[in-house]
Amino acid sequence: MPLIELKNVSKIYRLGSQSVTALSELSLLFEAGEFAVLAGPSGSGKTTALNLIGCLDRPTSGQVIVSGMNLGTASSRQLADFRLQHIGFIFQSYNLIPVLTAAENAEFTLMLQKVPKKSRRERVRRLFAELGIDGLEERRPADLSGGQQQRVAIARAMAGNPQVILADEPTANLDSHTAEELLELMRRLNREQGTTFVFSSHDDRVISQARRVIRLEDGCLSDDTGADR
Amino acid sequence: MTDYLHLAWKNLWRNRRRTVITLAAIALSIMLVQALHNLSNGVYAGMVDSGVRAGSGHIAVYQKGYLESRDETLYFEDRNLVDQIAALDGVEQVLPRLYVPALAQSSRESRGVLLVGVDPGRERLINPFLKTLPEDGMVRSSDSRDAVVGSRLLEELQIKLGQKFVVTAQNLDGTLHSELLRVRGVVSTGMKDIDGSLIMVGRERAGMLSGSTGSVHEVAVILSEPGYSEAVLRRIVRLLGDHPGTEAVKWERAMPNLANAIKLDYASQKFIFLIILLIVTIGVVNTLLMSVMERMREFGVILALGSQARTLRAMILLEALVLGLLAAAIGTLLGSLATWYLVAVGIDLATFVPETLEFGGVVFDPIMRASWNPGWMARIAGYVVGLTLLAALYPAVKAGRITPVEGMRHH
Amino acid sequence: MLVTLAFRNLWRNQRRTLLTLSAMVVSAALLILALGVFSGMFKDMLASATEQYYGHLVLAEPAYHQRRELFSSLPAELADLPALRDAPEITGRSPRLRSFGLLSRRDTSQPVELLGVLPELEQQVTTLHQHLTAGRYPAPSDRNAALIGKGLASKLNVQPGDELVFVTQAADGSIGNDLLFVSGIFATGDSRHDNNLVLAPLNWLQQVLVLPGRIHEVAMLVSDPLNAALVAARLNPQLPDNLEVLDWGALLPEMREVIAAYDVSRMIIVTILYLATGLGILNTFFMSVMERTREFGILMAQGMRPWAIRRLVLLETLLLGCIALTIGLLCGALMTLYMQQIGIDLAGYITPVTYAGGTILPRLHAVFEPGNFSVPAGMLLLVSLFAGFLPANRAARLDPVAAVREE
Repeated sequence: MPLIELKNVSKIYRLGSQSVTALSELSLLFEAGEFAVLAGPSGSGKTTALNLIGCLDRPTSGQVIVSGMNLGTASSRQLADFRLQHIGFIFQSYNLIPVLTAAENAEFTLMLQKVPKKSRRERVRRLFAELGIDGLEERRPADLSGGQQQRVAIARAMAGNPQVILADEPTANLDSHTAEELLELMRRLNREQGTTFVFSSHDDRVISQARRVIRLEDGCLSDDTGADR
Repeated sequence: MTDYLHLAWKNLWRNRRRTVITLAAIALSIMLVQALHNLSNGVYAGMVDSGVRAGSGHIAVYQKGYLESRDETLYFEDRNLVDQIAALDGVEQVLPRLYVPALAQSSRESRGVLLVGVDPGRERLINPFLKTLPEDGMVRSSDSRDAVVGSRLLEELQIKLGQKFVVTAQNLDGTLHSELLRVRGVVSTGMKDIDGSLIMVGRERAGMLSGSTGSVHEVAVILSEPGYSEAVLRRIVRLLGDHPGTEAVKWERAMPNLANAIKLDYASQKFIFLIILLIVTIGVVNTLLMSVMERMREFGVILALGSQARTLRAMILLEALVLGLLAAAIGTLLGSLATWYLVAVGIDLATFVPETLEFGGVVFDPIMRASWNPGWMARIAGYVVGLTLLAALYPAVKAGRITPVEGMRHH
Repeated sequence: MLVTLAFRNLWRNQRRTLLTLSAMVVSAALLILALGVFSGMFKDMLASATEQYYGHLVLAEPAYHQRRELFSSLPAELADLPALRDAPEITGRSPRLRSFGLLSRRDTSQPVELLGVLPELEQQVTTLHQHLTAGRYPAPSDRNAALIGKGLASKLNVQPGDELVFVTQAADGSIGNDLLFVSGIFATGDSRHDNNLVLAPLNWLQQVLVLPGRIHEVAMLVSDPLNAALVAARLNPQLPDNLEVLDWGALLPEMREVIAAYDVSRMIIVTILYLATGLGILNTFFMSVMERTREFGILMAQGMRPWAIRRLVLLETLLLGCIALTIGLLCGALMTLYMQQIGIDLAGYITPVTYAGGTILPRLHAVFEPGNFSVPAGMLLLVSLFAGFLPANRAARLDPVAAVREE
């Protein structure tokens, strides 16, 4: 059974009297353990597709099934719970909570999962060491560089042991050297821990690192290369 | 829970200046409301104290109907009632009084007065009107011809201390009866009505004038602890079994003028308190709404990470709760300090008002002092916390209603 | 141009501006209402002392009010003194003779204050004829008709038409007594009047007291009671030495003090309320200024001077103050109007309260008094300016380079 399945998914946004088709009739399958990139210029529907996979949004038509759960029929409450348990997010602009320290940010999903403080601390300490940001636990996001913030964001996404981590343009705000490092880090996590990664990017250097490249254009699939099958 | 508390605390200080100003506004209002309330409570207590001592006592016994009509034919024989009540627990003093409408005449002038016959020894100890009376200025015995007279009345009658004057009253049988009295002491209370009409004599003498010796219109009971009036009232009512047709009432009924003056003053104060709290609440809504609107993106992220909308709502309400509790704590602290000052030092009005002030028929102590009222202070603090939570309701609902995608589109 | 800019800036964050505005409007409007109602109480209080008893001005011998001496009498013609007759503010003049004595009906008697008056003139000064509960006001032709208070009537157990005996000491030293019949009963709500005051024909009392053609005082009404002291001050130099006009403030210093004290407490209440409002304004404008840091930076980088920035922010707060003022005054006036026309009757909850020589009636009833509008209005503008000052300073002190970099 595939981990993520998109069947003839369309997403149409209404902007006043106009309607904008963000995705049209998109069908995709992802297996567990993949390291895939959604590529395409801005406005091609990458973010919309990621939002659908991440259970943040519902399709206008078609079906999105993630880990056996059908998005169309689940309640918002179930979706929130599903995201909490199964999905990790990494954002382009990191989106750390500014008032919390790096460690507290990474612990945030664990807190929502009601994991006891002690095991949370332990888990985050190990994650920080693994991600090469140990020693920065007590820093505030404002005192961290972009690369460091994104590593904290990865720690936050990883902390709950999700089946899939979704990253929307994770390197767009970083310089190429840092971006390279970060990508390498994500690949290592994918290799060593088997976490599924799906991210979006329009940067060719990033895209070339992915094992599977799914190209979108105007909301339609234009190319899908390197799939595991 | 502690995690969420921790988060709420940190979020509260996100915009330090805004929180400090909001806190200051809430705390200041609490302080003002508490201090003003305690002050007027103290002033009211003082007024009630001097009012009951000059008037009906904390509890008064009357013939039924007298209170409503002030009809002087409604008197009753006290027999041993005064001594019996005086022996009760919690009773400081008992003042029997007989009222006689009379015409006071000097050689030059005459005035209609309400003569009051008292037990001189007891009255002297309690009645604040007699405070300024010199050592030997009081009526010497219950049947003496000594009279204590209001200063203005004395001047209107154009007589002096030690001089004689005549009072004439209607006897029970309808005939006019006169008694010769001598001015033994002069009282000056500062209240025109009292100073212009007071004539106090022994109750035996008053009884002779009206032909009702041994009777009283009013038995004023002063309590040592005003708070226990219910218990004493019950004991007095039991004693009244031997005096059919009498009733015991509390001062609020016996002195409606004073009770209502306080009620009216307190009501207008409450209205002002209400406006203050309303304004503060609008300010808190504004602050919380702003704080929520700025964080919509963050809320989107939190929702995306898998938080339930109700958790998010609870987080915002918790933030308001922390704000409210903090403000209540600071405000109550300031309110306590202010009350402490007002209890210990008070406000001296003597510098503002040259003459004695009168309020609700009672001379107003020129030094206003507060009295502690912890229960009420806690209640106000509680109201404010509740109002803060109420103010957070709209922002919280608003934040809980967004979808993660909408939230993250904010910037 | 600057005003338009300020106006647009205000509406950038509508919700915030509206909330701040509503706090200002609420404080101003409710304050105006509360002050109007307080003034209504004072007006009732003043009226009970003046329009139901003293009048606004009283002409008498200088020492009369101290002792109210029987022998301090004056010729009755004084009521038509040219100085009084020609004063435009004086709307009524009533000559009065005063006596204290006992009023009896069979076996009960009560001490009373009896005023001998000319009914047609007395009605120009006091309003007792508007407070009748039974019978009628004495007519000029009645020889011995008496108008008595309701409390007195019930103590003596009399109805209109019943006979009473008045006993007092006459000027010749004899005990004067004579018959009166009750023509009417009044109820003002003030127990001192209702239990103690009797009006009777002047001629009748002059006979009883053996003071033919004499009066003790001339009570007068003026168009504006708050101006009574001024009228008195103007009249006194025109009067002979043995006569003096006193205004109600001089007769009732305690009431004058209470009204003066009210002006002080009004300031205190207004200050307290606006302190809370002012902190809200301060908060709003700090937020608004902080949000626009970048914008101010750009304006300054383009050469706008700090004082111009300060002026812009102050103009915004002042503008907000003006808008709040307009709406607040309007709402306050409407609510005051409602309370003036309809009011709230408290008779079920409290009885009249006697206070500082007057009586507050058990009703909430507002009156329009300019000070109740001007003080809250002026203070609101002041508070707006003060609350705008700190944020304006903050904006003016920005470093353009750092500000532009700000996100």
